[in-house]
This record gives sequence, structure tokens and C-alpha cells, in this order.
Amino acid sequence: MSLLKADQITMQFGGLTAVNNFNLELNKNEIVALIGPNGAGKTTAFNMITGVYNPTKGKIYFEGKDITGLRPDQITSLGIARTFQNIRLFKELSVLENVLIANHLNVKSNVFEAIFKLPRYMKEEKSMISKSIELLDKVGLGDLKYEKSSSLPYGKQRRLEIARALATNPKILLLDEPAAGMNPKETEDLTSFIKEIKEQFDLTIFMIEHHMQVVMGISNVIYVLDYGITIAQGSPYDIQNNQKVIEAYLGVSENDA
Amino acid sequence: MKKRNLILTIISIIVLAIFIFYADSNFDAYQVRILNLCAIYTILGLSMNLINGFTGLFSLGHAGFMAVGAYTTALLTMSLAAKEQNFFMQPLVAPLNSIVWPFLPSLLAGGLMAAFVAYLIGAPALRLKGDYLAIATLGFGEIIRVIFTNTQNITNGALGLKGIPSSTNLWWSFGIAIVTIIVLLSLINSSYGRAFKAIREDEIAAESMGINLFKHKSISFMIGAFFAGVGGGLLGSLLGTIDPLMFRFLLTFNILLIIVLGGMSSVTGTIISAFVITIAQEVLRFLDEPMNFGFAVVQITGLRMVIFSALLMVVVLFYRNGLMGSREFSWDKLIKLFKRNPLVKGGTK
Ligand SMILES: Nc1ncnc2c1ncn2[C@@H]1O[C@H](COP(=O)(O)OP(=O)(O)O)[C@@H](O)[C@H]1O
Ligand SMILES: [Mg+2]
Repeated sequence: MSLLKADQITMQFGGLTAVNNFNLELNKNEIVALIGPNGAGKTTAFNMITGVYNPTKGKIYFEGKDITGLRPDQITSLGIARTFQNIRLFKELSVLENVLIANHLNVKSNVFEAIFKLPRYMKEEKSMISKSIELLDKVGLGDLKYEKSSSLPYGKQRRLEIARALATNPKILLLDEPAAGMNPKETEDLTSFIKEIKEQFDLTIFMIEHHMQVVMGISNVIYVLDYGITIAQGSPYDIQNNQKVIEAYLGVSENDA
Repeated sequence: MKKRNLILTIISIIVLAIFIFYADSNFDAYQVRILNLCAIYTILGLSMNLINGFTGLFSLGHAGFMAVGAYTTALLTMSLAAKEQNFFMQPLVAPLNSIVWPFLPSLLAGGLMAAFVAYLIGAPALRLKGDYLAIATLGFGEIIRVIFTNTQNITNGALGLKGIPSSTNLWWSFGIAIVTIIVLLSLINSSYGRAFKAIREDEIAAESMGINLFKHKSISFMIGAFFAGVGGGLLGSLLGTIDPLMFRFLLTFNILLIIVLGGMSSVTGTIISAFVITIAQEVLRFLDEPMNFGFAVVQITGLRMVIFSALLMVVVLFYRNGLMGSREFSWDKLIKLFKRNPLVKGGTK
């Protein structure tokens, strides 16, 4: 059985159909990529899966359970975490606090136990801090844990956003253009970083990416969207040689010329 | 290190207690009243800052929560004779007409009632965002006033309540202010407090990190309302009389002024600002009186408020962070400051 399945999901904004009858199947420990020109509906597909938007039509199943229409926090609690195309860190807060916040969903103590520092809460707080520090060390941000998150260089902010998503203990990680704005060297680091965390955290990864260098190198399956329609899906090799994909990316067909 | 700070904190609280002991018997009634107001505005400022500053909810219903707390406390503490005197238009409803509670449980009941009302209005209002929440809570504040004006047999309507026992003294007001500071600091620095700040920083990201927005906004809103209710109860008991007109939007505006000037995410800033603004409001009272300029006598009613409003505009336009921004006082910082200054004995090492 697939880990995540989208069945004919459609998102309409007024008259615009941003995503049209999108089907997706993610199997455990795969890396699946979603590509397509700007405005193709990739982020919208992410937003439907993570509960930011309620699909106009269609169903989404996670581990066989219907999760269509759940709130984003409920979906995250089930084990689907994400990053954003435009980095969305808690800017005024420290690197460590950013990661700690992602641990809050596992806190069992209620607010009174937290205010009065009762034993159960203190235990949770302590374990959450040591876990977060450990995670930051693992992803190479350990030295920066007390820095304000917005003071980090761009590449590190991207990495922190991924670390923050990892702190929610996800089974599936959704990355929205993780290499956007990166130079080739940073992109290469990121690619190996993604492979690394996939192994370390036993993840299934679904990512949107423009850099073919990243996508072709690490994905098992690639989906191609254009104007909300899935124009191709298959292995990196298939996609590279798919005529429709080449047209969508170049904007013209070679036969037109 | 941690232990040293705790000791320093305890020493300061003892020093404050000695000061209160001294002020209680040596200050005149006017000075004591201003000190009481400073402490009460500290409580009110902190409670509003939890909602508006730390959680980033633009709520303008504070006067409403204060009214609920003030009326609850007053109705529970007033003597039966005083109740009978007040309610000559319509008798007070049972069981309020036959009970008299001590001050502390009445204050707590006032806080709990305010928190309960916050729960009721939060259910619809906290689903709104930004400006809409401000409008909804502003409306709530006014509606509470209208309700209290019309529930003759509970609140005595527009006549208000007179003869509220004056239980508020420096011990109560400063004691509760300190408890408020300790509780709110503990909350803000806990996992829940971090969740509040995450909501303030970026709702979408917070929700995607598994934070239930509505639940956490409600918690912040209710705890803020609780302390607003307690502050309202203290204020009513200090003044001895309350009526619906007291709880106009102007009251919310005064508290908003305190937290904006002090810094929207600073407990320290709110405390300093509560004292400065409360004292300044008293000192500048002469502005509303007739002023003799030699050649003419001018009286501009409301000039004092104009000055404070102008101050608020200047801060919002040119000095967004207020006095403290999100910085806080800490013993470590204070000691470092002294250590850097070689003029202070033992400062160099
Ligand atoms: N909230 C929204 N309301 C209206 N239109 C939207 C909204 N979000 C996205 N769109 C539109 O949907 C289309 C797809 O957008 P998006 O999913 O962000 O594309 P991509 O991520 O592939 O670049 C675009 O035309 C965009 O303008
Ligand atoms: Mg996008």
C-alpha cells in the first residue's frame, strides 16, 4: 500500500483551475519530485496535501486514512511535514527556539503544568531541548543555536527550515523548491544533505524543484505539471526524453519551427 | 549562576516589601493611590501584552474583561447593606443578594468570569484575522457596556455600584502584580509561550509545525482576560465605585498606550511603562485645568489625552519597538554593566 495517495485532487480559485485532477502515489522511502514551469500549480498541490487548502474535488489518503480537509496542524501531527518556497522561519526567534516550537505538538502537559513547572512538564522540556540540540548538531547548525534565525545566511536558513520540519518527526517530508536561489556549490551540498536525512530519518520525500541537476540525480519518480495538468510521470530517464516535457519547458515545439 | 539570580530576585522582592511597609504608613493617601494604580496598570498592561504582544492578536476588548472582573468582584464583596442601598430601582438577583465573599476568592472569581467570557467571544472572534479581530473585540467591549447598563437587577445599570469595600491596598496590588509577573514570565518562556510567539511570527508556519492555532490563541486570550479581570476587580475596590461608563474604549486605549510605549514583547518594558504612564497621567493633570499664561487664561479639556495620543503616534511612526522592544531585564546583563564600569567598587577583575 502506498504511504500517500492523492486521488484526482483539483483546486479551483474562482475561474482558475490551479491543479486539475492530480493523482499521486508515494511509496515508503522514495524520493519523488514535482516539476513544471512557474505557475503550473506545484505549490498549490503541496498546499492541498498539507491542509492549507481544502481541495475543490478529490481525496487524499495517508497510510490508507482519508485526510482530506484536515487542518495543517492535524496533518503535521499525523506525520507529514513541509518547508516553504519562500522561507518561513520564526524570524525574531533563535535557531534553537525554531526547532523547539516544532516539538510542541508532542507536549502532553497542559498549560498549567507548564506555568507551574510541574515534574511532567519539566521532564518534557528537558528532553525536548536535548533532542533539539542533538538535531541541530546532526544537521550542522549546532554552533548557531542561539543566533537569531533571520541572521543566518540564506543557505543555512533553508537548512534550518528543513531541520525544523524534521523536528516534528515526519514520515513524509515535503520540500518546496529547497534549492531556489542557491549557487551550484550550495545546490550540490543540499542534494547530498537530502539524501543523508532520508537515510538517517527513514523518510519519504516529495519535493518541488526547478534545478534539474537536483531532480535528475536523486528522484525515483518525477511528476510534471503544466497549467495544473499532469503532462508526464515516470523515471528521470523517461522524463528527460519526453517530448511534452521538453515543449512545456522550452515553450515551443521543435516541430513548430 | 542560576542560584545567584534567584537570590537576587528574592532580595529585590524583600526590598520591595520593605518599601511597601514604609509607604503604607508614611505616604499620604494620594501617593498611595497612585502607587496602587501603578501596580494595577502593570497587571493590566502585562495581561494585554500577553495577547497583543506575545501572541500577536490585535485585541481591543480589554476594558470589557476588566468590567466583567470589576463587577464580579464588587458584587461578591459588597456588604448586604450596601447592596440594598444600591439596588433601590430593582432588587439584586439571588444568590448575589445574600452572599458576601472575602476579597481574594472574589478577585479570583472575577478573573475566572472574565476568562469564561473570553472563551465565549473567542470562539467566533479568534477565527478572524488581524483587523477583523480588532473590530470584533472592540465591538465586544462596547456590547458588554451596553449589557451592563441594561441588566438593572444584576449590575444596577447606569447607576453603577457604590460602596465597594476598599480592600485594595499596596500589599494586594503589588502582591498580585508580582504573582502576575512570575506567572506570565513562566508561561512566556514555556513551550506554550514559544507556540504563542510562533503564531505571532508566522501563523501559516506555526500551523504547519503542528500548532493548533485556535486552541493556542484561546489559551492566550483566556489567560490574558483572567488577569484583566483580576486587575479590574482590584481597580473597582480601589476606587470604591464603578459604573459602565468607566469601561469605555478609552480605558483599553490607555493600556494599549502602556504596552506600545513599553515594547510589545517585553515584560520589563510593560512594567516600566505602566509606572511612567500612570505617574505622568497624574502629573500632567494640570493640562486639563485652566492655565494662566499671564495675558490669558486657557482651558483645553482633553489636552492631556491629546499629548498621550500624539506620543503614541510618534512612537508608532518613528520608534516602533517602544522602550524595550523584545528585550528583557536580566541580572546577568545588569552585573555585566557594572563590571564594565571600573568606577564601581569590585567592578574590575
Ligand atoms: N490563494 C490563491 N488564490 C488565487 N490564485 C492562486 C492562489 N494560489 C495560487 N494561485 C494561482 O494558481 C496558479 C498556480 O500557482 P502555484 O501553485 O503557486 O504555482 P507553482 O508553485 O507551480 O509556481 C497560479 O496561477 C497562481 O496565481
Ligand atoms: Mg511554487
